[in-house]
Amino acid sequence: MAQKRRIGVYVCHCGGNISDYVNVEEVADAVRNDPNVVVSRTHMFTCSDAAQQEMIDEIKEKQLDGLVIASCSPKLHMFTFRGMSERANLNQYQYIHVNLREQCSWVHTNDKVGATKKGIHLLRAGIAKCELTVPLNAIRIETKPRVLVVGAGVSGMRAAISLADMGLAVFLIEREAEAGGWALQTGKMGPEAQDGTDVVAKLLTRINQHENIMLHTSAEVVSKSGSIGDFNVSVRLPGDETVSLNVGAIVVTTGFEPYTPQTDEYGWGAPGVIPLKDFRQMLAEADGPLMHNGKPVRDVAFIYCVGSRQLKSESCPEPNSYCSRYCCLATTYTATLLHDLEQKTGQPVNQYHLYRDVRTYGALEPIYEKARTGGAIFLRWDPSNPPQVTTEGDQLTVKAKDHLLGGEELEIGADLVVLATGMRPRENDTLNDILKIPESKDGFYNEIHLKLRPVETMIDGVFIAGTAQGPKTLAESVASSLAAVAKTGGLLMKGYVDLEPLIAKVDTDKCIWCGECLKACPYGAIEKVNVGEKEIAFVIESMCKGAGPCVPVCPHNAIEIEGFRDDQITAMIDASIKELETK
Amino acid sequence: MKTDKQKTDYDVMVVGAGTAGMETAASLGDMGYKVLLVEKKSSIGGKAILLSKVFPTLDCASCIITPKMAAAAHHPNIDVKVYTEVDEITRNTDGSFAVEMHQKASYVDFDACTGCGQCEEICTVTVPDEYNYDLVTRRVAHIPFPQAVPKTAVIDRRGEAPCTFTCPSNVKASGYISLVRAGRYKEAFNLHLQNAPLVGSLARACYAPCESDCTRCGKEETVHIRGIKRFFSDYYYEEHPEPEYGPVENQLKTKVAIVGSGPAGLSAAFYLARNGHQVTIFEAETQAGGMLRTAIPAYRLPNEIVDRDIKNVTALGVEIKCNTRVKSAASLKKEGFDAVFVATGASDERNMGIEGEDLEGVMGCMKFLRETKIGDAPDIKGKTVVVVGGGNSAMDPARSAIRMGAKKVIIMYRRTRDEMPAHSWEIEGAIDEGVELMELANPKQFVGKDGKLEGVEFLKMKLGEPDDSGRRRPEVIEGSESTLPVDLVVLAIGLKPSTTDFVDEIESEWGLLKSNEKTLQTKKDPSIFAGGDCVTNPTMIVNAIAQGRRAAFYMDLHLKGESLDAPFDTDFLLEKTNKDAVLEEAKDFKPRSPVLQPMMPLDERKKTFDCYESVMTEEEARQEAHRCMNCGECSQCMECVNVCPAFCIDFKMTERPRSLIVGAVVLSTGYEVLDPAAKELLGYGRIPDVIDGLQMDRLLAPTRPYNSVLRPSDGKEPESIAIVLCNGSRDHTVCNPLCCRIGCMYSVKHAQLVMGALPLADVTIYYIDIRAFGKGYDEFYEQSKGMGVEFVKGKASRIRQLENGNMELQYEDMEGEGGLGKREHDLVVLTVGFLPNTEAFGLFKPGELEADEHQYVREIDPISEPGRTNIDGLFAAGAIIGVRDIPDTVLHAGAAATQAATYLKQTRGK
Repeated sequence: MAQKRRIGVYVCHCGGNISDYVNVEEVADAVRNDPNVVVSRTHMFTCSDAAQQEMIDEIKEKQLDGLVIASCSPKLHMFTFRGMSERANLNQYQYIHVNLREQCSWVHTNDKVGATKKGIHLLRAGIAKCELTVPLNAIRIETKPRVLVVGAGVSGMRAAISLADMGLAVFLIEREAEAGGWALQTGKMGPEAQDGTDVVAKLLTRINQHENIMLHTSAEVVSKSGSIGDFNVSVRLPGDETVSLNVGAIVVTTGFEPYTPQTDEYGWGAPGVIPLKDFRQMLAEADGPLMHNGKPVRDVAFIYCVGSRQLKSESCPEPNSYCSRYCCLATTYTATLLHDLEQKTGQPVNQYHLYRDVRTYGALEPIYEKARTGGAIFLRWDPSNPPQVTTEGDQLTVKAKDHLLGGEELEIGADLVVLATGMRPRENDTLNDILKIPESKDGFYNEIHLKLRPVETMIDGVFIAGTAQGPKTLAESVASSLAAVAKTGGLLMKGYVDLEPLIAKVDTDKCIWCGECLKACPYGAIEKVNVGEKEIAFVIESMCKGAGPCVPVCPHNAIEIEGFRDDQITAMIDASIKELETK
Repeated sequence: MKTDKQKTDYDVMVVGAGTAGMETAASLGDMGYKVLLVEKKSSIGGKAILLSKVFPTLDCASCIITPKMAAAAHHPNIDVKVYTEVDEITRNTDGSFAVEMHQKASYVDFDACTGCGQCEEICTVTVPDEYNYDLVTRRVAHIPFPQAVPKTAVIDRRGEAPCTFTCPSNVKASGYISLVRAGRYKEAFNLHLQNAPLVGSLARACYAPCESDCTRCGKEETVHIRGIKRFFSDYYYEEHPEPEYGPVENQLKTKVAIVGSGPAGLSAAFYLARNGHQVTIFEAETQAGGMLRTAIPAYRLPNEIVDRDIKNVTALGVEIKCNTRVKSAASLKKEGFDAVFVATGASDERNMGIEGEDLEGVMGCMKFLRETKIGDAPDIKGKTVVVVGGGNSAMDPARSAIRMGAKKVIIMYRRTRDEMPAHSWEIEGAIDEGVELMELANPKQFVGKDGKLEGVEFLKMKLGEPDDSGRRRPEVIEGSESTLPVDLVVLAIGLKPSTTDFVDEIESEWGLLKSNEKTLQTKKDPSIFAGGDCVTNPTMIVNAIAQGRRAAFYMDLHLKGESLDAPFDTDFLLEKTNKDAVLEEAKDFKPRSPVLQPMMPLDERKKTFDCYESVMTEEEARQEAHRCMNCGECSQCMECVNVCPAFCIDFKMTERPRSLIVGAVVLSTGYEVLDPAAKELLGYGRIPDVIDGLQMDRLLAPTRPYNSVLRPSDGKEPESIAIVLCNGSRDHTVCNPLCCRIGCMYSVKHAQLVMGALPLADVTIYYIDIRAFGKGYDEFYEQSKGMGVEFVKGKASRIRQLENGNMELQYEDMEGEGGLGKREHDLVVLTVGFLPNTEAFGLFKPGELEADEHQYVREIDPISEPGRTNIDGLFAAGAIIGVRDIPDTVLHAGAAATQAATYLKQTRGK
């Protein structure tokens, strides 16, 4: 049995999120007289600054050597309270987080008595675990002041410049032969009215002049090892040359893939049915009236939401259910460019915009307004009744229902049907296998938290930005890439990083090196070493994530995860069923 | 690092600690830069911390924003300055910035405040709670919201309430009114003692300049402040025939003599004794009280009240020696007094200098009033009395004479009623009681026989050109003499200082003693002070009290050997509140009739010296107190000061200016919310159950005001809720063509949360386009459709209230049937537009910081240089360049942090 401890227990109301469904006072009361509990009380918001200060004062005053807070998910506030523990001079690993919200109150909203009982069990388990905690110190790793940026579109290029400006050495690699990405094909972009090629050219000049940036095109990542602060990445350069780069962080700006419609989807495949980007190219290249098939273009139909906001159906079993965000802007902006061309050439062009919702959000709204007032006709369609595109000879016909006219069926004859195609996550299996960045439901890279840690990934030291994380406009992509730079700078400018000590630990006496743990570890954190005569497993601290697959496979119980030791788990089980037994 | 650079106090200053500011600061702090994060409110957290949950994940806003608040507040590289406003930013040639800023007076010492909330609990004034978007009220002493960082209280004061400001002794009228409103009468009395000890006398006989300056005069009529005082002083004296205190514990050895026991002398004695000095008052009369006792008629101020008021002073150990006329201040010093306060008043009668003034039957008003009060006056029953004069001191003898049974009482005045210096209500009272006015008449001589008065020969007068006082000068009409037979003439033509014994000893002029205006110290002998009517000429009781209090303060300093340069508490008064602003805010307040003090019927009043004003009931007094408009916000009832366990409340706190140099600046001052009342036809502000989106968020927040989703008018759970999008967005009629960018999403969130909170309620969203464009947003929108939220494509055109209290929403049906649609709802939520916060432009020279065409701060190159403004080294983060949701704000803030960091590298090499 553990030695006598002095544990403080705090139960959070979470402003009603917990206390509406769990009697938090009863939970706190239940453990108040437990042998190792010195204080047990509740707070409205344990995370609030004032509550933290009170807890800090109490930890110091009552000389607590263990802390249990029963509140929300540890994903939200474990680090908050660890930080608080440190400020109270309590080792942060002697703090135990009990999840009373996601794992109790929110899932038992209809049973306050039951939820309260469960809350007590969870709390008891937390206390039992806390009783067996030992002070631990973070593992400090020296970070390398170098960054790898994967993908030299505008986001990646711009990120590279700022990283280099901060004094970090940057390796910028691009799979294509040329840096610049999709911006090279957009022509003039709204609302800033900048030409993508100009943007790219300016960035490229800065990159080429920057002594801290090394740009490699036609280059691909082939392997990665190491961990946060100290990665080793192999990059294949043209001519099958491979270089090994030692970097402290990786910023992934691999961008998107444009949606390619399926055959016959809105007439796809028929001559005159083109994606928006091709139409933009036509506009950019037109030095007189806009021509198609040798005839001046009179009628253009734009169909929005192609490949976006899809509903699941037989023909579309894996829909892109998300909004691609940029297309309403791009298409309405195209309308204004077309108006400009009309003005310039005197060529009248009728525009029909078949949309679902025009999402020219925020300051983009005036573009939509300009498109409308310029004469573009906007017709709304419903996904239950999408526009039909048919061909007869050269003539394209778009059939759609106009809701404003009470659902009357319209037939629009068009010389061109322009499809505003959405963004898709880039197919990038090799890179994904190497970097192991988790994906969201929509297939784009997943950030840890959209609001709290939007450019960080579950892989420490690997950041994401731009459309690799989800659809964005160019300006938004660059903002996110500079946000990733800020986080990268925060990581590397200090020169070191502290890693979690809650990792695997080998009992050198018990270990006989059977190699099972090595096979189980997904991170390559196990090595075989010789201790005298004996071969045993060795844990590479910087690479171990404390995930624990090595533990159950060990035939000799020779490996454990600190913070989740067998004795702790057993004690937690015992404690949580204690009340069930005594009843 | 280059050496020619100015030394900076901080690497970066971030202005505005909302989501963007906190994120920027934390990012820069993580990179190792020293950051100053400035916030004008008393807590960081911005608007997001007030939200319920956030889309599309439905995380609690607290769960998202509190970690950011904590990260900023506890970051070793970040200093947070709340309640601080930046005034000016100037870019230096070396690329750094000179910043002028000031921390506003919070009246709470942030370092000492523990956030216990006791001040808030006891505070007596409520104002609309801006943190709940005015759905409920909060106290003036307040912690903004439960998750505030730092969790400290602030006290709102927008100025000095006119009543308090105007009062010569700055009695906290607004304070005791708010205490009466709260039913704390003893506290009201004790508060009064802080500025004037003679509460009962003032409650009856003060001319109440506070009432003339009351803001409520701008609506119906003044708050009857004196009536309220009368209530609580009577209430208190009834409960406490004796003071609850004795001499103070810490008695000093210093001895002070006070000459004169009028209001000035008593007041000085009270405050000196409270500071532990040994005080003796010398009074020539047989009883203490000065003019309170001898000059104010009993129907206004009975002697028992004066006696009880004096007990407030004597209970502190003050000794009053009556029948002791002091002829020299110096002699008192020889007797062992360390300091002397001369407060002999101004009760010496002036005479007219005409014949017959020495006749029996001609007397001064002071003598008449004094004899009347002690029952020694001549019998005038059935006789004719003429009172000469037009001031208040003429009204008192005239009205007394009526009560003594005079057949006829005439006030003879040389000008007309309009020029009379007496208060209009006094003149009215006198006339009501039967006093006659004889205007434009002035005695030429008093005629009599055997030394006894028989009549007054008077001259008719006419009004000439205005004199210095602005009143028209009376001129004699030659040859207009006539004679009026009278039995008694009372001369009320003015008083002069009672200073004959001191004019040589103390510097004087025209009989008035001279003392320093601020300290009341006399020149010849620094231990002799003089104040009250003998220095100022006759004024109001409360003026004399103010003088006594002032004298006590400086005498205390003098006796303790401290400098008299110290400011008196009046030096800490704020400016008087702008009454027009208060009235403007209260323009929709319903009129409230004043509660008047009941008066004795006229017939009875004329027969008795009993008080004709009776006291309000408790209920009446509290009702009247509710008419107070809390002009100063904080009423200074001092309850918070009394209760604060950390002694951290200080009303003498002033603004603290600060100048510093920073290496770069990031502006993140956010946005403003458009007032939906601008869309008049939608009824916001008129119809109580038409609320805006921010209010809806509060109704759904964990710290929500009603602890449930209820409609504000009657607390009913709504059953049919309309959420109307795009009010004041995409709308040229309010000059806001922009889309608000977040309204669709937060409204879809509202719909989902309402369906969770009120499972039986129907929710309809009226929209033009649903702009669900971010990661997971469209899925969130689809999910809400799946939950049963009804989406109607249509623009609301008019909302009117039906007789059953519900609203009829008229809308343009863009799909479905088309045409105009009408639906009934019992709660309407208007999703409001946003406006730029243009404050930032004022920090620079005009035109220096560029705006875009919609008055947001302009980003010079949004594609390649997000966060950069036209001023090198000045960056903008978040909604200041255009309103955006939290994820976009966080990303943009990160970009601004990067920009600032690279700028610092470039300019300062760090």
